[in-house]
Amino acid sequence: MPITSYLAHPQEGKKSELLKALTSFKDCEVIPAENEDILVVVTETRDTEEENNLKDKIETLNSLKLLVLVSGFNTPQND
Amino acid sequence: MYTSLTNRRHFIKKMAAAAAMTAAATMFPGIIFASEQEAGIPNGNLDWKKGPCRFCGVGCGILVGVENGKAVAVKGDPNSSVNKGLLCVKGYHQTMCIQAKDRLTHALVKKNGTYVKIPISEALDIVASKMKETIETHGKDSVAMYTSGQSTIPEGYVASKFMKGAIGTNNLDCNARLCMASAVAGFLTTFGADEPMGCYEDFDYADYYVTWGNNMAEMHPVLFSRMLEQKNKRGAKIIDFATRTTRSSTASDKSILFEPQTDLAVGNAICYEIVNNGWVNKSFIEKHCNFSKGLTKMGYGVEDKYKFTDKPTKIDFNQYKAFLEDYTPEKVAKYSKVSVKDIKYLASIFGDPNKKVMSLWCMGVNQHTRGTWMNNIIYNIHLLTGKISQPGNGPFSLTGQPSACGTAREVGTFTHKLPKGVVMNEKHRALAAKIWKVPVERIPSKPTYHATEMFRAVDRGNIKFIWTQAVNPLVSLPKTSRFRPGMEKKSCFVVVSDVFPTPTSDVADVILPASWHIEKSGLYGNSERRTQHWNKMVEGPGETTPDAWMFIEVAKRMGYGDLFPYSKENHVEEIYNEYRQFHEGKKHGMAPLEVLKEQSGAIWPYVDGKSTQWRFNAAHDPACSNGEDFHFYGKPDGKAVIWQRPYEPAAESPDTAYPFWLNTGRVIEHWHTGSMTRRIPVLHKAMPNAYAELHPKDAKALGIRNGENIRVSSRRGSCVLPASINERGLPTQGQVFVPFFDENMLINDVTLDAFCPISKEPDYKKCAVKIEKA
Amino acid sequence: MKKRLGIISLFIILCIGFIAIWNFSYQTGQEEAYIPVEKDNTVSSIIPSEKGVFQRSEYALDYANMPVDENHQRTLNSYYKNRAYHGAPPHIPHPVKNDRTVGENTCLQCHENGGFTEKYNAYAPVTPHPEMVNCRQCHVEKKTDGVFKAFAYRDVVAPKAGVNNALVGSPPIMPHQIQMHENCLSCHAGPSAPKEIRVTHPERVNCRQCHVLNNKETADIGVFKRR
Repeated sequence: MPITSYLAHPQEGKKSELLKALTSFKDCEVIPAENEDILVVVTETRDTEEENNLKDKIETLNSLKLLVLVSGFNTPQND
Repeated sequence: MYTSLTNRRHFIKKMAAAAAMTAAATMFPGIIFASEQEAGIPNGNLDWKKGPCRFCGVGCGILVGVENGKAVAVKGDPNSSVNKGLLCVKGYHQTMCIQAKDRLTHALVKKNGTYVKIPISEALDIVASKMKETIETHGKDSVAMYTSGQSTIPEGYVASKFMKGAIGTNNLDCNARLCMASAVAGFLTTFGADEPMGCYEDFDYADYYVTWGNNMAEMHPVLFSRMLEQKNKRGAKIIDFATRTTRSSTASDKSILFEPQTDLAVGNAICYEIVNNGWVNKSFIEKHCNFSKGLTKMGYGVEDKYKFTDKPTKIDFNQYKAFLEDYTPEKVAKYSKVSVKDIKYLASIFGDPNKKVMSLWCMGVNQHTRGTWMNNIIYNIHLLTGKISQPGNGPFSLTGQPSACGTAREVGTFTHKLPKGVVMNEKHRALAAKIWKVPVERIPSKPTYHATEMFRAVDRGNIKFIWTQAVNPLVSLPKTSRFRPGMEKKSCFVVVSDVFPTPTSDVADVILPASWHIEKSGLYGNSERRTQHWNKMVEGPGETTPDAWMFIEVAKRMGYGDLFPYSKENHVEEIYNEYRQFHEGKKHGMAPLEVLKEQSGAIWPYVDGKSTQWRFNAAHDPACSNGEDFHFYGKPDGKAVIWQRPYEPAAESPDTAYPFWLNTGRVIEHWHTGSMTRRIPVLHKAMPNAYAELHPKDAKALGIRNGENIRVSSRRGSCVLPASINERGLPTQGQVFVPFFDENMLINDVTLDAFCPISKEPDYKKCAVKIEKA
Repeated sequence: MKKRLGIISLFIILCIGFIAIWNFSYQTGQEEAYIPVEKDNTVSSIIPSEKGVFQRSEYALDYANMPVDENHQRTLNSYYKNRAYHGAPPHIPHPVKNDRTVGENTCLQCHENGGFTEKYNAYAPVTPHPEMVNCRQCHVEKKTDGVFKAFAYRDVVAPKAGVNNALVGSPPIMPHQIQMHENCLSCHAGPSAPKEIRVTHPERVNCRQCHVLNNKETADIGVFKRR
């Protein structure tokens, strides 16, 4: 089960919009920065395919300027 | 991140998030993810209210947990960029003091030698009539007010308006004279504008932190933690330059010890090395610096009515270079006890153009009979190398009180100050008169008494009425052995406003019960020019009243009601809005109250909705107007001054009769005279009494064991304390260190009231004492 | 002719040079050998006894990032059980490798920095005072559970974890004395730390900024009272 974290840079002035959109995804955890325009996104999905799907979905958001992968982990399913 | 995690996936998720946050932090230093930091803190059903911490000038943001109208918990404000959710032990427990059993809850008046409880309105009647009567019989300059760096901005403002605008006397000074005056004089002489140019974000960029006689691990612990964090994460280096080995020394990368007072010489030796090794930033000093020298052999102010005015003379670089010939590392090493190697090492840190250096100092440099000079010399080092006003590069003068900057320095509760400028300047008086709506002739143009001289005047009988607020001079003044009997004299009527009984309130004729800071609304200003607002969080007990409101009530009773048209509920806002008019403009604009209510403080100059983090740097400061990279606009020609300041010996040095240096200071557990922190059980139990630190070799020579009572005496007085050998701190041989918080062991009976002739700040760090078994 | 004169004068110069150098080296050779005496610098070599708090701070970030091995962690109970009373030096709960040493490197191999030991299925506790190498002076083996004669020793009440904070969420005070264990991280961080007293924020390093001593163990000082 892959767990991946990203840094999401919103388009100018669209931080709250992006935050709203990201929190609506089921497998996504979002931690917005208080004083900068950047969000930490952690995804937890069942397999690599699902993860890629989710990533594609995020990348189509209009409020997103750039999504940067930071770290990825893969853990056995039954843990 | 490290708590017991019930499931591994949860842990990995946290790790993933942490990795992303770390990555974000490298892009944006100082970034805050509040929700994550708050996650681990128990919440309960508390109502968390924001404010600044009361204990020290760092100005940490606190959140006070209120339950059923009582303050029951404190945590660091994760949204505050000052402390990012961290506090020190004093901060975490601060609200415990207000529940102390001997809290002053009602006004007390002395009748036949005992204190009688009276309604506060009657007490204020007595104060007003006594003040009025004294002015009528002895003149305006027979009444005085002594306030505090813990007074809020509105309190300081009203005090200044009341004394200088309404009554028309400059008999107003404050305890910040005892801690920050040399810093102010240093800023004004070098830059023409008070307060540091940088901000705390400098910590995130600097490669070296040089601390000058500054035990930050105990005195500015939250900032020290920021340094330690940078040391561990980035390999930044801490260099501790001091007269005593402390926690800061043991945590630093290098500890360099010097003989008291020789910091002047070592500073000049560093300049010598910079000049003679070609490390001078030539284009910077050509464009942005002048050279000057002032008078020397100024004396030490130990005699009453001592007066001094410096006479600056312009010099050129070559004259300055020739002056430095007396300060070669070889010559200085002989009397400073700092090795030539260490002096050259210090100089090389400043000299390396690729390293960012922050200098940090507080009382070691300021409480110095040549405090202004020492401040100047540190600026010289940074100006010669051009390491100033840039992120991570700069001299940073730390403060000791929560609003030493905000109130004492910005509002100007000093005898020579006005909210903007000084009383000696006609334009400044005119501006004050206009905003205060008083005739300009009423504001006197001559400064009167600075703190030490004010209490000398009480002793001499020149001052017949004195009102102190949020201060404890009979513990904190130098040479209290003179001033206690002075204040006890019948010739002076003493009014003390405070939260707790102190040795100062013991000599009062009227005691007024003051509100503690969270029991009133207010504003503080910290060392990085950050103004912070808070709303009243809890009700004070009994008839406790905010200091500002007591001034206003007395002013009304004296017939100045029309100058103080403020409402009881809203006076803090009304006063702040009036005060803001003084600082309008790009050089000192203050943030509007709405902004301060919303966020955890804002740094002035606040221009077009933005804090200015680095003053004098054109890339950051909109007030720069000369078209260059830097503009020191405090001076008329836009240039900072490099001062030629020599080494001169201390006012009193050890001799055969009194062979030890006496150094005084603080400990992490207690703040100043301990009237608040000692009433916090956690802190009292950790540090129940003062002590005298000795070097093990000196102790051995005198046959003194650890914990044994010893008598520390000077030509002025003596004090008995337990010896502390190789415990918390370790003074150099021939030196004794004593913390001054303990009202039962008054070390200030022993200290000397010598001061810096320019700043009038006393030197609590150097006088001669002898030691014997008690 | 000129050439010859040149060569002769060259030889004369060389000759003079040789004599001068030989004389100088002979003269210096006559001086007595000595070792330059350095100034007494012992002043700076004494450091305050409180320095311990920062000793293991270089590992703080590693501690912060270490996952918790729940299957092999100690409890406060097992920590106390290893001592005759609270504050006593722990005994050695395993056979010693070499009984003919005072300890030093034999013990420090595992106890200086800790780590997992397969043989005992546990993490080696980290000593707070690695500079004291005569380990066996205070730490002894436990070879039998029996006693010589029955005795009644009153146990010291050991402090409990989680009850030492004055306010909700305020940093707990230190409920124990710190002589010989000034170094907080050695017992309060890492996999060998008892789980109840393991710090959540080892990266903070300057522990005594927030956590202060409360010397209740000798006598309760009580609250501040004016004289």
